[in-house]
Amino acid sequence: MNNKNYLLPGLVIIFSFGMIIFSTVLLPNFIFKPMPSEFAVVYTPLEARGRKIYLREGCVNCHSQFSRPQDRDFGPLVMAGDYVYETPNLLGTIRTGPDLANEGGKHPDAWHKAHFINPRTVTPGSIMPPYSYLKDDEMKALVAYVQSLGKKRLVKYHRIYHPDELEKVLEKRKVNVDSSAAANAGRGIFQQNCATCHGTHGLGNGPNAIAISKKPANFSRPFFKDYDDVTWFWRVSEGVPGTRMPQWGKLLTEEQRWYLVAFLKTLPRENEVYPKDYESLDPEKWNEVQATSSKDLNSQKPAMIIETKGSPPGAGGGH
Amino acid sequence: MFFSDKENSASKNFIFTAVIWLIVGMTMGLTGAIEFTAPDMSAGIPQITFSRLRPTHINTVAFGWLSMANIGIVLYIIPTLTRSKLFSNKLANFVCLVWNLAIIGGIICLTNGYTEGREYAEFPVPIDVMVLIGLLSLSYVVYMTAITRTVKKLYVSLWYMLGAFFWMPIVYFIGNRTFVRLDGLNDSIVNWFYGHNILGMWFTTLGVGIAYYMIPKLTGRPLWSHSLSMLGFWTIAFFYAPTGTHHILQSPVPEWLKALAVVFSVALVIPVITVLTNFFMTMKGNWWQLANNLPLRFVLTGALFYFITCIQGPFQATRSINWYIHFTQWVPGHAHAALLGAFTFFDWGAIYYIFPRVTGHQFYSVALARAHYWLTFIGFWIFYAAFTIAGLVQSAGWHAGIPVNIWSTELVPYWIFRAIGGSMMWFGNILFFINILQTFRGVKPLDLPDVEPAMSPMKS
Ligand code: HEC
Ligand code: HEC
Repeated sequence: MNNKNYLLPGLVIIFSFGMIIFSTVLLPNFIFKPMPSEFAVVYTPLEARGRKIYLREGCVNCHSQFSRPQDRDFGPLVMAGDYVYETPNLLGTIRTGPDLANEGGKHPDAWHKAHFINPRTVTPGSIMPPYSYLKDDEMKALVAYVQSLGKKRLVKYHRIYHPDELEKVLEKRKVNVDSSAAANAGRGIFQQNCATCHGTHGLGNGPNAIAISKKPANFSRPFFKDYDDVTWFWRVSEGVPGTRMPQWGKLLTEEQRWYLVAFLKTLPRENEVYPKDYESLDPEKWNEVQATSSKDLNSQKPAMIIETKGSPPGAGGGH
Repeated sequence: MFFSDKENSASKNFIFTAVIWLIVGMTMGLTGAIEFTAPDMSAGIPQITFSRLRPTHINTVAFGWLSMANIGIVLYIIPTLTRSKLFSNKLANFVCLVWNLAIIGGIICLTNGYTEGREYAEFPVPIDVMVLIGLLSLSYVVYMTAITRTVKKLYVSLWYMLGAFFWMPIVYFIGNRTFVRLDGLNDSIVNWFYGHNILGMWFTTLGVGIAYYMIPKLTGRPLWSHSLSMLGFWTIAFFYAPTGTHHILQSPVPEWLKALAVVFSVALVIPVITVLTNFFMTMKGNWWQLANNLPLRFVLTGALFYFITCIQGPFQATRSINWYIHFTQWVPGHAHAALLGAFTFFDWGAIYYIFPRVTGHQFYSVALARAHYWLTFIGFWIFYAAFTIAGLVQSAGWHAGIPVNIWSTELVPYWIFRAIGGSMMWFGNILFFINILQTFRGVKPLDLPDVEPAMSPMKS
């Protein structure tokens, strides 16, 4: 038979494939065994059920579940240990919708429910499909699961705190940062000094933003809606080390910086609209809500309901 | 039909049923694409919600269409290359039946939410078992045919095909081993070992093997270099399999695995260049044949898309580019360029050549086939460009920190173009289906036999 000549190549194929399976399938399972981190969520029965529904509905086809260093919007970075109890994995490979690794606590339960029933009622222009067919108990489980995602991480680390001793600056403050006069004064200063990077509307998209590698902050992020006056003042004055953001404390007077704070506080959050009554999804009401003036919107409570106690993060304001 | 023992009957059945799955799968894909512009279309019907449709679409086209078409073609090519009879048409026909049942069952399970949730491995356990039984039986048939061959030398296509039938059952088994529970990240590592290797060790090897057979056959010229083709084979065998981790390059899996994946992904340039050099050098001086040789045109268009995908691939796997394009529509664009652009075009070309030979009927209509070519070719470009540009816009949106629902409205034109390109391809394939159906039934052809010599059953 002529088949003997092919014995050697055959063995080489078998051997090489065996090596590859050993090194990329077996070996990682032997030597890569991360310990559960403090954020590895052990799901309650309800959350576990919600996770099954998330899997069943295939949400992973639009949502990823890991934040990367370059993602500024999706909370702190994940670690290997966070995923110990996540089987089957829901890492995801596509972000048609936002990352959900740190979703817990971003929105109230009722928001999620309204959003799942019809995403367009709370986020106009969304292309997420409606999940109105979920039964009530399934919906509850799914919301519980989404709220469990990375929640502890957000509460502990996502917040930026000004150092306590800074509270002193409030005593010297002469500007009423809640007045529209101050905000108007601030707008002028902002357009002159900041708009080149942060954009005229503070969306982080000024002309210079293209050229710098660490992108200017986008003040419409929900994240910024949590800043109190002193935190704003401190961030503007100190700049952001490691980026092109100048230390405005050295360039502008204290008064000017307070005007800026007054202006920055008026910038609207990203175009999410919060219907006052989440449960009501009837279109008449919706139009009414749409008509709410922007002033009304800005005065609304931030959506991120988080504790304000905890240790401040390290230098650099890394978020 | 599924219990016959006639020569080439298995090949015929595989190809015919694969074309049905092609239509079903494309219809699902198109529905999903339209739902991007009209998200309320699914209106509370769980079965057609995008997130359930997408895995169903992927599994139907990957296992129903592409795998079955590849197998049908291979079951014709292997006996001709070895100059022997297929070891058992009966067994192969039985596998065809099992696979069709598996795909039907799979579609029902996935649209109703019974899913394992791992990408490309969504089929639930009973379906996995059926698919695996089919794969193992086919490997047996293929290897027994090769062992009883009468031609001494193994042509390069046979290397690829025999390799694929060795690798795929193992890869499939590893990817669907649900009885071993692994922790989250380990689960994803194994998942992507599987996810990438069904492309690399199954679709690529079979697809390239088919093209290696078709191009010399259709042009009537010998392959440019046998040793170069063997270099391509061995580099694929060594370099392809460890690359899976590049799908999760930015997740917290071990760095050494990522490094391995990147290095080997870049090294994949070597087999790609060798394969394409060989194809194009074989074509040297023969390009005029494209004018009146439709199957050849399909195969070479496939080679063109193969070039595009496989140049994209290694670049995408490097960290600096992956950083930008990961998570965006660029990636599904790339995946479609490989599976739809390259391998499906290879298969279409091969089917136009093989189907008349396995049925013994003259192809029903050359005009329909030409319409099929132009609709799919132009449709694919529109579709692919829309995906790719949408991906770039999307990534710009993410990185400039603009909220999703703002930049996603900017994407609407691309969704629409994508749906238009998709509809063109869908329509082209309806024509293809009609053509195949009429040929299968042996209806009197519309054109004369000498219009497209390669598409008539006379042995050349
Ligand atoms: C077609 C892709 C798609 C699918 C499928 C999908 N989503 Fe979404 N999702 C989006 C998009 C786009 C957004 C952003 C706009 C918005 O808020 O609706 C979003 C937003 C969200 C948000 C709000 C994120 C935030 O912080 O603003 C949550 C929570 C969410 N999705 C959960 C889910 C769950 C749970 C499922 C499965 C039942 C799911 N999604 C399925 C596309 C999708
Ligand atoms: C040279 C471009 C540039 C200019 C001009 C500029 N910024 Fe910035 N800004 C940045 C960059 C870059 C960051 C860092 C973003 C980051 O942390 O990643 C930043 C961050 C900030 C932050 C911190 C946000 C946080 O993370 O807490 C504030 C507040 C801010 N800028 C306000 C201003 C104000 C007010 C002005 C005008 C007086 C201004 N910036 C002018 C580039 C600029």
